[in-house]
Amino acid sequence: MFINWAQQEITLKIVYYGPGLSGKTTNLRYIYSHIDASKRGELITLNTKEDRTLFFDFLQLEVGKILGKKPRFNLYTVPGQVYYAHSRRIILSGVDGIVFVADSQRERMEDNLNTLLDLEQNLITMGRTLQDMPLVLQFNKSDLPNSANFELLQQRLNFYRVPHFNSVATTGIGVFETLKMIINQVVNHIQSHA
Amino acid sequence: MNLGHGGNGQSIVLTGEMYKEISEILSELASKTRARTIIFSDMNGHAITQRGVTGEIDISAMSALAAGGFSATAEIAKIIGEKKQFKYIFHEGENSNVYFSNVGDNFLLVLIFSSETALGMIRIYTKRAIDALTELLSSANEEEKKASQFVNFDFNKYLNEELDKAFNF
Ligand SMILES: Nc1nc2c(ncn2[C@@H]2O[C@H](COP(=O)(O)OP(=O)(O)OP(=O)(O)O)[C@@H](O)[C@H]2O)c(=O)[nH]1
Ligand SMILES: [Mg+2]
Repeated sequence: MFINWAQQEITLKIVYYGPGLSGKTTNLRYIYSHIDASKRGELITLNTKEDRTLFFDFLQLEVGKILGKKPRFNLYTVPGQVYYAHSRRIILSGVDGIVFVADSQRERMEDNLNTLLDLEQNLITMGRTLQDMPLVLQFNKSDLPNSANFELLQQRLNFYRVPHFNSVATTGIGVFETLKMIINQVVNHIQSHA
Repeated sequence: MNLGHGGNGQSIVLTGEMYKEISEILSELASKTRARTIIFSDMNGHAITQRGVTGEIDISAMSALAAGGFSATAEIAKIIGEKKQFKYIFHEGENSNVYFSNVGDNFLLVLIFSSETALGMIRIYTKRAIDALTELLSSANEEEKKASQFVNFDFNKYLNEELDKAFNF
C-alpha cells in the first residue's frame, strides 16, 4: 500500500497467486480487454516463449475520484510453475490482498494445495500470515468436465472460510466479481486496523 | 513515515511535507543532470513522483518493472554472496540510458537520459540526491496519519459505486 496525502492518492497491490496454468494471466487479460481504456494502463506481461508467466504480469486500474481521493489498484500475477519460487517471493513483497486462482480440475487438487502452502510459507518469511491477509478464492476452469464439485473444492482448499467464486476466466465468468470482492476485502482490512 | 519492515515494506504513508521535500530534491537533481525523465518509486513498484518528460512513458508500468528488476538483481547479489544489494543498475541503449539506484531499503530512483550525457556526472548528482533523500526519509517522525484515516466508511460506499461503473455491473 502506498498513500500520498499531498496528492490524495492511495495505491493498493493485489496479487493473483496459484498453480501453473490455473488461469491467473487469463484473469488479467480479461480485465484488461473489458475495462474502459481511460480506467487502466497497459498490460505488461513477462512471458516465456511458450506463453507462460516468467516473472509477472502487471495491470494498473484507476477508477474515478472518490471524495477527492484517487484510488489505484496495481494487479500482479505470479509465475505458477514450481521452478520460479524466488520470483513469487519478490512479487509478494508489499502485497495488500491476494486472489488465489485454483484450477478446479480434479487432478490439480494436489497442486492447488501445494501452492497454497507455498503461499503461506512465503508470507511467513515476510512476517505475515495467510489468515490475516485479505484473500479471495477463485475456483477457475469450472467449465471443464473433469472439474471437481464445489463442495469438495471448498472443503479441501478454503480452510480460512474466505469469499470464493466459481469462474471461467476465458469467458469472464466470475472475473470481475472476484476483483470487486478482493478490493472490498482490502479496504475493509485497512479500516479495521485503525 | 510508516515504513513497514525492510524490503517487504508493508505500507508506506507519505505526508504532505515529506512529499514536498522529495519533490524539491528531485527538481534539483533534474536541473543538475538534465536527465530526460526521473522517477521516484517504492520497492513494491508504486510510482511516487516524477520529473521531466513523462508524456510517452507509462510511469506505473515503469515503476513496476524497475522494482521487479531491482529485486531480481538483489536476489542475484545474494546468490553470489554479496552482503548488500548492488548499488546501481545501468542499461545502455542506442539513444537513451537508464540508471537505477535504491534509496535505502524501500525506495528506488530511476533516471533516463541521453546516451550523450556523461555517466560520471549522473552518478555524482544521483549520489547526492540519494543521500539527501535517505536522510529525509529516515528523519520522519513516527506519529503519522494512519491509513485507516484515509479510507473512511463513506470512501468504501462510493468506491463500490465506482467499481460497479468501471466493471459494468
Ligand atoms: N477451459 C478453460 N481454460 C482456461 C480457463 N482459464 C484459463 N484457461 C486456459 O488455461 C491456460 C493457462 O492459462 P494462464 O492464464 O496462462 O495460466 P497461468 O495461471 O497464468 O499460468 P502460469 O503463468 O504458468 O502460472 C490457457 O490456455 C488459458 O486459455 C478457464 O476458465 N477454462
Ligand atoms: Mg501466467
